[in-house]
Amino acid sequence: MRDVSIVGIGSTPFGRHAGTPIEQLGVQAAVEALMDAGIDRSRIGALYLGNFISGPLNGKEVLAGIVADQLGLPNIPCTKVEGACASGGIAFRHAWLAIASGQCDAALVVGVETMTHAPTAQTTAALNCAMDNENDGPSGLTFPGLFGLAWRIHADRYGTTREQVSAVVKKNKANGLLNPLAQMGATLTNEQIAASASICDPLQLYDCCPASDGAAALVLVASDRLSGTQGMPINILAAVQTRGSPSIGGHPDLCSFDATVSAARRAYEMAGIAPRDVDVVELHDCFSVAEIVDSEDLGLVPRGEGAIWAAEGRTAVGGQIPINPSGGLLAKGHPVGATGVGQLYEVVRQLRGTHPNQVRDAEIGMTHNLGGAGVACTVSLLRRPA
Amino acid sequence: MNAIRDTPSLSMVRCAACGRVDTPRRAVCSACLANQLEPIAIPGNGVVASFTTIRRAPTQFRDRAPYDVVVVDLDAGLRVTGRLDAQSSPAAVGARVGLVSAEGSDTVFAVSQT
Repeated sequence: MRDVSIVGIGSTPFGRHAGTPIEQLGVQAAVEALMDAGIDRSRIGALYLGNFISGPLNGKEVLAGIVADQLGLPNIPCTKVEGACASGGIAFRHAWLAIASGQCDAALVVGVETMTHAPTAQTTAALNCAMDNENDGPSGLTFPGLFGLAWRIHADRYGTTREQVSAVVKKNKANGLLNPLAQMGATLTNEQIAASASICDPLQLYDCCPASDGAAALVLVASDRLSGTQGMPINILAAVQTRGSPSIGGHPDLCSFDATVSAARRAYEMAGIAPRDVDVVELHDCFSVAEIVDSEDLGLVPRGEGAIWAAEGRTAVGGQIPINPSGGLLAKGHPVGATGVGQLYEVVRQLRGTHPNQVRDAEIGMTHNLGGAGVACTVSLLRRPA
Repeated sequence: MNAIRDTPSLSMVRCAACGRVDTPRRAVCSACLANQLEPIAIPGNGVVASFTTIRRAPTQFRDRAPYDVVVVDLDAGLRVTGRLDAQSSPAAVGARVGLVSAEGSDTVFAVSQT
Protein backbone atom coordinates (compact mmCIF):
# COMPACT_ATOMS: atom_id res chain seq x y z
CA MET A 1 0.00 0.00 0.00
CA ARG A 2 1.21 3.48 -0.89
CA ASP A 3 1.31 6.50 1.38
CA VAL A 4 -1.46 9.01 0.66
CA SER A 5 -1.65 12.72 1.53
CA ILE A 6 -4.42 15.31 1.73
CA VAL A 7 -3.28 18.24 -0.42
CA GLY A 8 -6.45 20.29 -0.83
CA ILE A 9 -9.45 21.20 1.35
CA GLY A 10 -12.65 23.14 0.81
CA SER A 11 -15.89 23.74 2.69
CA THR A 12 -19.02 25.82 2.53
CA PRO A 13 -20.22 27.25 5.82
CA PHE A 14 -22.49 24.76 7.64
CA GLY A 15 -25.96 26.15 8.28
CA ARG A 16 -28.81 27.27 6.03
CA HIS A 17 -28.32 27.33 2.28
CA ALA A 18 -31.98 27.50 1.31
CA GLY A 19 -32.42 27.78 -2.43
CA THR A 20 -29.00 26.37 -3.34
CA PRO A 21 -29.37 22.99 -5.09
CA ILE A 22 -27.48 20.24 -3.25
CA GLU A 23 -25.09 19.49 -6.13
CA GLN A 24 -24.04 23.15 -6.28
CA LEU A 25 -22.99 23.08 -2.61
CA GLY A 26 -20.85 20.03 -3.37
CA VAL A 27 -19.35 21.75 -6.41
CA GLN A 28 -18.51 24.90 -4.39
CA ALA A 29 -16.59 22.88 -1.78
CA ALA A 30 -14.88 20.80 -4.49
CA VAL A 31 -13.68 23.84 -6.46
CA GLU A 32 -12.21 25.30 -3.27
CA ALA A 33 -10.39 22.03 -2.58
CA LEU A 34 -9.05 21.77 -6.15
CA MET A 35 -7.82 25.40 -6.07
CA ASP A 36 -6.29 24.84 -2.63
CA ALA A 37 -4.40 21.81 -3.95
CA GLY A 38 -3.36 23.64 -7.10
CA ILE A 39 -3.91 20.40 -8.97
CA ASP A 40 -4.95 20.04 -12.61
CA ARG A 41 -8.47 18.52 -12.81
CA SER A 42 -7.31 16.03 -15.43
CA ARG A 43 -5.25 14.25 -12.74
CA ILE A 44 -8.31 13.33 -10.63
CA GLY A 45 -8.78 9.59 -11.11
CA ALA A 46 -11.83 8.93 -8.91
CA LEU A 47 -14.56 10.77 -7.03
CA TYR A 48 -16.23 9.48 -3.86
CA LEU A 49 -19.20 11.41 -2.54
CA GLY A 50 -20.71 10.94 0.90
CA ASN A 51 -24.42 11.63 1.19
CA PHE A 52 -27.27 10.11 3.19
CA ILE A 53 -30.72 11.41 2.26
CA SER A 54 -30.62 13.41 -0.97
CA GLY A 55 -33.12 10.94 -2.43
CA PRO A 56 -35.93 11.40 0.12
CA LEU A 57 -35.28 15.11 0.79
CA ASN A 58 -34.25 16.38 -2.66
CA GLY A 59 -35.44 13.73 -5.10
CA LYS A 60 -31.86 13.48 -6.38
CA GLU A 61 -29.53 10.49 -6.58
CA VAL A 62 -26.35 9.74 -8.59
CA LEU A 63 -24.94 12.88 -6.98
CA ALA A 64 -21.33 11.81 -7.51
CA GLY A 65 -21.75 11.78 -11.28
CA ILE A 66 -23.71 15.04 -11.27
CA VAL A 67 -21.02 16.84 -9.23
CA ALA A 68 -18.24 15.43 -11.45
CA ASP A 69 -20.10 16.58 -14.55
CA GLN A 70 -20.48 20.13 -13.23
CA LEU A 71 -16.78 20.15 -12.31
CA GLY A 72 -15.82 19.12 -15.84
CA LEU A 73 -13.96 16.08 -14.56
CA PRO A 74 -12.85 13.42 -17.03
CA ASN A 75 -14.61 10.07 -17.49
CA ILE A 76 -13.63 8.57 -14.14
CA PRO A 77 -15.41 6.29 -11.66
CA CYS A 78 -17.76 8.44 -9.54
CA THR A 79 -19.36 6.76 -6.55
CA LYS A 80 -21.86 7.92 -3.96
CA VAL A 81 -21.46 6.08 -0.67
CA GLU A 82 -24.00 5.88 2.13
CA GLY A 83 -23.51 4.93 5.75
CA ALA A 84 -25.97 7.30 7.42
CA CYS A 85 -24.07 9.86 9.52
CA ALA A 86 -20.75 8.15 8.64
CA SER A 87 -21.24 8.59 4.87
CA GLY A 88 -18.55 11.27 4.61
CA GLY A 89 -15.93 9.31 6.54
CA ILE A 90 -16.63 6.26 4.39
CA ALA A 91 -16.23 8.30 1.17
CA PHE A 92 -12.84 9.49 2.43
CA ARG A 93 -11.70 5.98 3.28
CA HIS A 94 -12.65 4.69 -0.17
CA ALA A 95 -10.70 7.47 -1.87
CA TRP A 96 -7.70 6.68 0.32
CA LEU A 97 -8.04 3.01 -0.55
CA ALA A 98 -8.22 3.69 -4.30
CA ILE A 99 -4.93 5.60 -4.17
CA ALA A 100 -3.18 3.44 -1.58
CA SER A 101 -3.93 0.34 -3.66
CA GLY A 102 -2.61 1.98 -6.84
CA GLN A 103 -5.91 2.22 -8.72
CA CYS A 104 -5.36 5.96 -9.23
CA ASP A 105 -2.88 8.65 -8.17
CA ALA A 106 -5.33 11.37 -7.14
CA ALA A 107 -8.95 11.41 -5.96
CA LEU A 108 -11.60 13.91 -4.95
CA VAL A 109 -13.77 13.40 -1.86
CA VAL A 110 -17.00 15.35 -1.43
CA GLY A 111 -19.50 15.21 1.41
CA VAL A 112 -22.79 17.04 1.05
CA GLU A 113 -26.27 17.25 2.54
CA THR A 114 -29.21 19.67 2.52
CA MET A 115 -31.87 19.32 5.20
CA THR A 116 -33.16 22.71 6.34
CA HIS A 117 -35.59 23.18 3.42
CA ALA A 118 -37.62 20.12 4.45
CA PRO A 119 -40.33 20.06 7.15
CA THR A 120 -39.02 18.59 10.42
CA ALA A 121 -41.34 15.58 10.18
CA GLN A 122 -39.96 14.71 6.74
CA THR A 123 -36.35 15.11 7.90
CA THR A 124 -37.00 12.99 11.00
CA ALA A 125 -38.59 10.26 8.90
CA ALA A 126 -35.65 10.29 6.48
CA LEU A 127 -33.06 10.16 9.29
CA ASN A 128 -34.98 7.33 10.97
CA CYS A 129 -34.30 5.17 7.89
CA ALA A 130 -30.90 4.53 9.55
CA MET A 131 -32.58 2.72 12.44
CA ASP A 132 -33.46 -0.99 12.65
CA ASN A 133 -37.06 -0.44 11.62
CA GLU A 134 -37.98 -4.10 12.09
CA ASN A 135 -37.04 -4.26 15.74
CA ASP A 136 -36.34 -0.80 17.21
CA GLY A 137 -38.40 1.62 15.12
CA PRO A 138 -41.80 0.17 16.14
CA SER A 139 -41.17 1.21 19.78
CA GLY A 140 -41.20 4.88 18.76
CA LEU A 141 -37.48 5.26 19.47
CA THR A 142 -35.67 8.22 17.87
CA PHE A 143 -31.94 8.93 17.45
CA PRO A 144 -31.93 11.45 20.30
CA GLY A 145 -33.67 8.67 22.25
CA LEU A 146 -30.78 6.29 21.55
CA PHE A 147 -28.48 8.74 23.32
CA GLY A 148 -31.02 9.25 26.10
CA LEU A 149 -30.56 5.51 26.74
CA ALA A 150 -26.77 5.94 26.79
CA TRP A 151 -26.95 8.92 29.14
CA ARG A 152 -29.11 7.03 31.67
CA ILE A 153 -26.55 4.25 31.83
CA HIS A 154 -23.61 6.67 32.12
CA ALA A 155 -25.42 8.46 34.95
CA ASP A 156 -26.39 5.19 36.65
CA ARG A 157 -22.94 3.63 36.35
CA TYR A 158 -20.61 6.61 36.85
CA GLY A 159 -22.77 9.23 38.58
CA THR A 160 -22.63 11.62 35.61
CA THR A 161 -24.58 14.83 36.27
CA ARG A 162 -26.52 17.33 34.12
CA GLU A 163 -23.86 19.97 34.90
CA GLN A 164 -21.01 17.72 33.75
CA VAL A 165 -22.75 17.01 30.44
CA SER A 166 -23.47 20.73 30.07
CA ALA A 167 -19.71 21.30 30.13
CA VAL A 168 -19.53 19.57 26.73
CA VAL A 169 -22.32 21.77 25.37
CA LYS A 170 -20.71 24.96 26.68
CA LYS A 171 -17.28 24.04 25.32
CA ASN A 172 -18.46 23.10 21.83
CA LYS A 173 -20.83 26.05 21.53
CA ALA A 174 -18.01 28.41 22.63
CA ASN A 175 -15.62 26.76 20.13
CA GLY A 176 -18.23 27.30 17.44
CA LEU A 177 -18.14 31.06 18.05
CA LEU A 178 -14.50 31.04 16.88
CA ASN A 179 -15.23 29.05 13.69
CA PRO A 180 -16.59 31.11 10.79
CA LEU A 181 -17.98 27.91 9.20
CA ALA A 182 -20.05 27.04 12.29
CA GLN A 183 -23.84 27.27 12.32
CA MET A 184 -24.60 27.76 16.01
CA GLY A 185 -21.80 29.04 18.19
CA ALA A 186 -23.02 30.48 21.49
CA THR A 187 -22.04 31.46 24.98
CA LEU A 188 -24.28 29.40 27.25
CA THR A 189 -24.79 28.99 30.98
CA ASN A 190 -25.77 25.86 32.86
CA GLU A 191 -29.08 27.55 33.62
CA GLN A 192 -29.87 28.22 29.95
CA ILE A 193 -29.05 24.63 29.00
CA ALA A 194 -31.11 23.20 31.87
CA ALA A 195 -34.05 25.45 30.93
CA SER A 196 -34.09 24.39 27.27
CA ALA A 197 -36.89 22.17 25.98
CA SER A 198 -36.89 18.47 26.88
CA ILE A 199 -36.43 16.32 23.79
CA CYS A 200 -36.10 12.84 25.28
CA ASP A 201 -35.06 12.64 28.90
CA PRO A 202 -32.41 13.39 29.92
CA LEU A 203 -31.58 15.10 26.58
CA GLN A 204 -32.62 18.72 26.17
CA LEU A 205 -32.56 20.98 23.13
CA TYR A 206 -28.99 22.23 23.63
CA ASP A 207 -27.78 18.63 23.89
CA CYS A 208 -28.76 18.05 20.25
CA CYS A 209 -27.03 19.07 17.02
CA PRO A 210 -29.06 21.18 14.58
CA ALA A 211 -30.29 20.21 11.12
CA SER A 212 -27.83 21.69 8.63
CA ASP A 213 -26.97 22.22 4.99
CA GLY A 214 -23.37 22.13 3.87
CA ALA A 215 -20.57 20.54 1.91
CA ALA A 216 -16.89 19.80 2.38
CA ALA A 217 -14.28 18.41 0.00
CA LEU A 218 -10.74 17.03 -0.01
CA VAL A 219 -8.14 16.30 -2.67
CA LEU A 220 -6.03 13.21 -1.96
CA VAL A 221 -2.82 12.41 -3.83
CA ALA A 222 -0.30 9.57 -3.60
CA SER A 223 2.57 10.84 -1.47
CA ASP A 224 5.05 9.92 -4.24
CA ARG A 225 3.06 11.97 -6.82
CA LEU A 226 2.99 15.33 -5.04
CA SER A 227 4.70 17.39 -7.74
CA GLY A 228 2.23 19.76 -9.36
CA THR A 229 0.44 20.33 -6.06
CA GLN A 230 1.02 23.18 -3.62
CA GLY A 231 1.04 23.69 0.13
CA MET A 232 1.69 21.37 3.04
CA PRO A 233 0.73 17.75 2.34
CA ILE A 234 -0.94 16.10 5.34
CA ASN A 235 -0.13 12.41 5.58
CA ILE A 236 -2.87 9.85 6.21
CA LEU A 237 -1.52 7.52 8.91
CA ALA A 238 -4.70 5.45 9.18
CA ALA A 239 -8.16 5.30 7.60
CA VAL A 240 -10.28 2.60 9.22
CA GLN A 241 -13.91 1.59 8.77
CA THR A 242 -15.78 -0.86 10.97
CA ARG A 243 -19.26 -2.28 11.47
CA GLY A 244 -21.26 -2.55 14.67
CA SER A 245 -24.77 -3.81 15.31
CA PRO A 246 -27.56 -2.02 13.42
CA SER A 247 -29.92 -2.86 16.30
CA ILE A 248 -30.20 -1.82 19.93
CA GLY A 249 -30.47 -5.48 20.90
CA GLY A 250 -27.07 -6.21 19.34
CA HIS A 251 -25.23 -3.76 21.56
CA PRO A 252 -24.07 -5.50 24.72
CA ASP A 253 -23.34 -2.08 26.28
CA LEU A 254 -25.67 0.81 25.40
CA CYS A 255 -23.06 3.23 26.73
CA SER A 256 -20.31 2.22 24.26
CA PHE A 257 -20.13 1.55 20.53
CA ASP A 258 -18.21 -1.56 19.49
CA ALA A 259 -17.62 -0.08 16.05
CA THR A 260 -15.80 2.91 17.58
CA VAL A 261 -13.74 0.80 19.97
CA SER A 262 -12.56 -1.54 17.20
CA ALA A 263 -11.96 1.25 14.67
CA ALA A 264 -9.81 3.17 17.15
CA ARG A 265 -7.82 0.08 18.09
CA ARG A 266 -7.09 -0.70 14.43
CA ALA A 267 -6.25 2.92 13.63
CA TYR A 268 -3.71 3.23 16.46
CA GLU A 269 -2.16 -0.06 15.38
CA MET A 270 -2.04 0.97 11.70
CA ALA A 271 -0.44 4.32 12.59
CA GLY A 272 1.90 2.82 15.19
CA ILE A 273 0.88 5.40 17.78
CA ALA A 274 -0.91 5.48 21.14
CA PRO A 275 -3.92 7.58 22.17
CA ARG A 276 -1.62 9.91 24.15
CA ASP A 277 0.15 10.85 20.88
CA VAL A 278 -3.02 12.47 19.48
CA ASP A 279 -2.92 16.28 19.67
CA VAL A 280 -6.40 17.21 18.40
CA VAL A 281 -9.65 15.32 17.77
CA GLU A 282 -12.83 15.98 15.83
CA LEU A 283 -15.35 13.35 16.98
CA HIS A 284 -19.00 12.55 16.42
CA ASP A 285 -20.86 14.65 19.03
CA CYS A 286 -24.31 14.41 17.43
CA PHE A 287 -25.51 14.77 21.03
CA SER A 288 -23.63 16.06 24.08
CA VAL A 289 -23.46 12.67 25.74
CA ALA A 290 -22.16 11.15 22.48
CA GLU A 291 -18.93 13.14 22.92
CA ILE A 292 -18.53 11.63 26.38
CA VAL A 293 -19.10 8.07 25.15
CA ASP A 294 -16.94 8.58 22.03
CA SER A 295 -13.99 10.04 23.94
CA GLU A 296 -13.99 6.95 26.16
CA ASP A 297 -14.48 4.52 23.26
CA LEU A 298 -11.56 6.12 21.40
CA GLY A 299 -9.31 5.52 24.42
CA LEU A 300 -8.64 9.25 24.82
CA VAL A 301 -10.26 9.46 28.25
CA PRO A 302 -10.47 6.72 30.92
CA ARG A 303 -13.78 4.79 30.88
CA GLY A 304 -16.44 6.59 32.87
CA GLU A 305 -14.47 9.87 33.11
CA GLY A 306 -15.58 11.57 29.86
CA ALA A 307 -17.96 13.90 31.64
CA ILE A 308 -15.46 14.70 34.39
CA TRP A 309 -12.72 15.54 31.87
CA ALA A 310 -15.08 17.88 30.02
CA ALA A 311 -16.11 19.59 33.26
CA GLU A 312 -12.46 20.01 34.29
CA GLY A 313 -11.60 21.65 30.95
CA ARG A 314 -9.23 18.87 29.94
CA THR A 315 -10.94 18.52 26.52
CA ALA A 316 -10.84 22.27 25.75
CA VAL A 317 -8.27 23.90 23.45
CA GLY A 318 -5.20 24.17 25.68
CA GLY A 319 -6.29 21.14 27.70
CA GLN A 320 -4.83 17.63 27.76
CA ILE A 321 -6.74 16.41 24.69
CA PRO A 322 -8.61 19.13 22.77
CA ILE A 323 -11.90 17.70 21.43
CA ASN A 324 -13.97 19.41 18.73
CA PRO A 325 -12.24 22.80 18.55
CA SER A 326 -14.40 23.37 15.43
CA GLY A 327 -17.50 23.39 17.60
CA GLY A 328 -18.29 19.81 16.60
CA LEU A 329 -21.65 18.69 15.32
CA LEU A 330 -23.31 20.49 18.26
CA ALA A 331 -22.17 23.95 17.15
CA LYS A 332 -20.62 23.66 13.70
CA GLY A 333 -23.67 21.70 12.52
CA HIS A 334 -24.42 18.27 11.09
CA PRO A 335 -25.15 18.23 7.35
CA VAL A 336 -25.14 14.46 7.65
CA GLY A 337 -23.22 13.29 4.57
CA ALA A 338 -20.80 16.23 4.80
CA THR A 339 -19.92 15.81 8.47
CA GLY A 340 -17.11 13.24 8.19
CA VAL A 341 -15.43 15.20 5.39
CA GLY A 342 -15.87 18.43 7.36
CA GLN A 343 -14.10 16.84 10.34
CA LEU A 344 -11.10 16.05 8.11
CA TYR A 345 -11.18 19.62 6.75
CA GLU A 346 -10.97 20.92 10.33
CA VAL A 347 -8.14 18.60 11.36
CA VAL A 348 -6.10 19.42 8.22
CA ARG A 349 -6.36 23.12 9.13
CA GLN A 350 -5.19 22.30 12.66
CA LEU A 351 -2.18 20.38 11.33
CA ARG A 352 -1.35 23.16 8.85
CA GLY A 353 -1.43 25.58 11.79
CA THR A 354 -4.11 27.75 10.16
CA HIS A 355 -7.20 26.95 12.24
CA PRO A 356 -9.23 29.85 13.68
CA ASN A 357 -9.26 27.95 17.00
CA GLN A 358 -5.76 26.56 16.75
CA VAL A 359 -4.39 23.83 19.02
CA ARG A 360 -0.77 24.82 19.58
CA ASP A 361 1.83 22.70 17.75
CA ALA A 362 -0.71 20.09 16.67
CA GLU A 363 1.16 17.34 14.82
CA ILE A 364 -1.21 14.35 14.91
CA GLY A 365 -4.97 14.67 14.51
CA MET A 366 -7.88 12.23 14.69
CA THR A 367 -11.38 12.14 13.23
CA HIS A 368 -14.26 9.89 14.28
CA ASN A 369 -17.51 9.54 12.32
CA LEU A 370 -20.37 7.26 13.51
CA GLY A 371 -23.48 6.20 11.58
CA GLY A 372 -26.90 4.82 12.47
CA ALA A 373 -27.22 3.12 15.84
CA GLY A 374 -23.47 2.48 15.69
CA VAL A 375 -23.64 0.29 12.56
CA ALA A 376 -20.88 2.14 10.69
CA CYS A 377 -17.79 3.92 11.98
CA THR A 378 -14.68 5.49 10.53
CA VAL A 379 -11.60 6.64 12.41
CA SER A 380 -8.75 8.46 10.70
CA LEU A 381 -5.34 9.58 11.91
CA LEU A 382 -3.44 12.37 10.13
CA ARG A 383 0.06 13.77 10.61
CA ARG A 384 1.76 16.90 9.37
CA PRO A 385 5.33 16.80 8.04
CA ALA A 386 7.90 17.05 10.84
CA MET B 1 -52.07 -0.43 37.89
CA ASN B 2 -53.24 -3.03 35.42
CA ALA B 3 -52.37 -6.59 36.17
CA ILE B 4 -50.28 -8.22 33.46
CA ARG B 5 -52.89 -9.87 31.29
CA ASP B 6 -52.86 -13.54 30.33
CA THR B 7 -49.07 -13.71 30.33
CA PRO B 8 -48.54 -12.56 26.72
CA SER B 9 -45.34 -13.69 25.06
CA LEU B 10 -42.85 -12.43 22.48
CA SER B 11 -42.66 -13.99 19.03
CA MET B 12 -39.08 -14.92 18.22
CA VAL B 13 -37.46 -17.52 15.99
CA ARG B 14 -35.37 -20.57 16.79
CA CYS B 15 -32.98 -22.01 14.23
CA ALA B 16 -33.89 -25.63 13.44
CA ALA B 17 -30.25 -26.38 12.64
CA CYS B 18 -28.25 -24.82 15.50
CA GLY B 19 -30.88 -23.79 18.03
CA ARG B 20 -30.01 -20.09 18.14
CA VAL B 21 -32.92 -17.94 19.32
CA ASP B 22 -33.11 -14.54 17.67
CA THR B 23 -35.43 -11.70 16.66
CA PRO B 24 -37.86 -12.56 13.86
CA ARG B 25 -38.17 -10.97 10.39
CA ARG B 26 -34.89 -12.40 9.12
CA ALA B 27 -34.22 -14.75 6.19
CA VAL B 28 -31.54 -16.94 7.71
CA CYS B 29 -29.90 -17.74 11.02
CA SER B 30 -26.95 -15.35 11.36
CA ALA B 31 -24.98 -17.97 13.31
CA CYS B 32 -25.16 -20.83 10.77
CA LEU B 33 -27.04 -19.41 7.71
CA ALA B 34 -29.68 -22.15 7.85
CA ASN B 35 -33.03 -20.91 6.57
CA GLN B 36 -35.34 -23.03 8.70
CA LEU B 37 -36.38 -20.63 11.43
CA GLU B 38 -39.18 -21.89 13.61
CA PRO B 39 -41.44 -19.43 15.42
CA ILE B 40 -41.24 -19.70 19.19
CA ALA B 41 -42.93 -17.80 21.97
CA ILE B 42 -40.66 -16.61 24.75
CA PRO B 43 -41.70 -15.05 28.06
CA GLY B 44 -41.53 -11.27 28.20
CA ASN B 45 -40.07 -10.97 31.69
CA GLY B 46 -36.83 -9.16 32.20
CA VAL B 47 -34.87 -6.21 33.55
CA VAL B 48 -34.67 -2.62 32.27
CA ALA B 49 -31.23 -2.02 30.73
CA SER B 50 -32.09 1.62 30.04
CA PHE B 51 -35.00 3.89 29.20
CA THR B 52 -35.77 7.35 27.84
CA THR B 53 -38.87 9.52 27.67
CA ILE B 54 -39.59 10.53 24.07
CA ARG B 55 -41.16 14.00 24.06
CA ARG B 56 -40.46 14.88 20.40
CA ALA B 57 -41.86 11.88 18.58
CA PRO B 58 -41.92 10.74 14.95
CA THR B 59 -45.18 11.64 13.15
CA GLN B 60 -46.82 8.24 13.60
CA PHE B 61 -46.20 8.33 17.38
CA ARG B 62 -46.97 12.01 17.94
CA ASP B 63 -50.38 11.49 19.54
CA ARG B 64 -48.88 9.11 22.12
CA ALA B 65 -46.06 11.42 23.25
CA PRO B 66 -44.63 11.66 25.79
CA TYR B 67 -43.91 7.94 26.15
CA ASP B 68 -41.05 5.88 27.54
CA VAL B 69 -38.96 3.61 25.34
CA VAL B 70 -37.38 0.79 27.36
CA VAL B 71 -34.58 -1.59 26.45
CA VAL B 72 -35.20 -4.87 28.26
CA ASP B 73 -32.81 -7.72 28.95
CA LEU B 74 -35.18 -10.68 28.86
CA ASP B 75 -34.67 -13.52 31.32
CA ALA B 76 -34.64 -15.72 28.21
CA GLY B 77 -31.47 -13.98 27.05
CA LEU B 78 -32.38 -11.49 24.32
CA ARG B 79 -32.16 -7.69 24.51
CA VAL B 80 -35.29 -6.06 23.03
CA THR B 81 -36.66 -2.55 22.54
CA GLY B 82 -40.22 -1.71 23.51
CA ARG B 83 -42.49 0.93 25.00
CA LEU B 84 -43.47 1.31 28.62
CA ASP B 85 -47.21 1.10 29.18
CA ALA B 86 -48.69 4.53 29.95
CA GLN B 87 -50.22 3.07 33.15
CA SER B 88 -46.94 1.55 34.39
CA SER B 89 -45.02 2.67 37.46
CA PRO B 90 -41.98 4.77 36.45
CA ALA B 91 -39.06 2.89 34.90
CA ALA B 92 -35.61 2.68 36.46
CA VAL B 93 -32.40 1.04 35.31
CA GLY B 94 -32.46 -2.47 36.78
CA ALA B 95 -36.24 -2.52 37.41
CA ARG B 96 -38.05 -5.78 36.64
CA VAL B 97 -40.65 -5.57 33.90
CA GLY B 98 -43.23 -7.84 32.37
CA LEU B 99 -44.85 -7.86 28.95
CA VAL B 100 -48.24 -6.16 28.67
CA SER B 101 -48.84 -6.74 24.97
CA ALA B 102 -46.97 -7.68 21.81
CA GLU B 103 -48.57 -7.14 18.44
CA GLY B 104 -46.18 -7.71 15.59
CA SER B 105 -43.05 -5.85 16.59
CA ASP B 106 -44.96 -3.38 18.76
CA THR B 107 -43.96 -4.47 22.25
CA VAL B 108 -45.26 -2.92 25.46
CA PHE B 109 -43.86 -3.57 28.95
CA ALA B 110 -44.85 -2.52 32.46
CA VAL B 111 -42.79 -2.38 35.65
CA SER B 112 -43.59 -5.46 37.75
CA GLN B 113 -45.20 -4.99 41.14
CA THR B 114 -43.19 -6.62 43.88
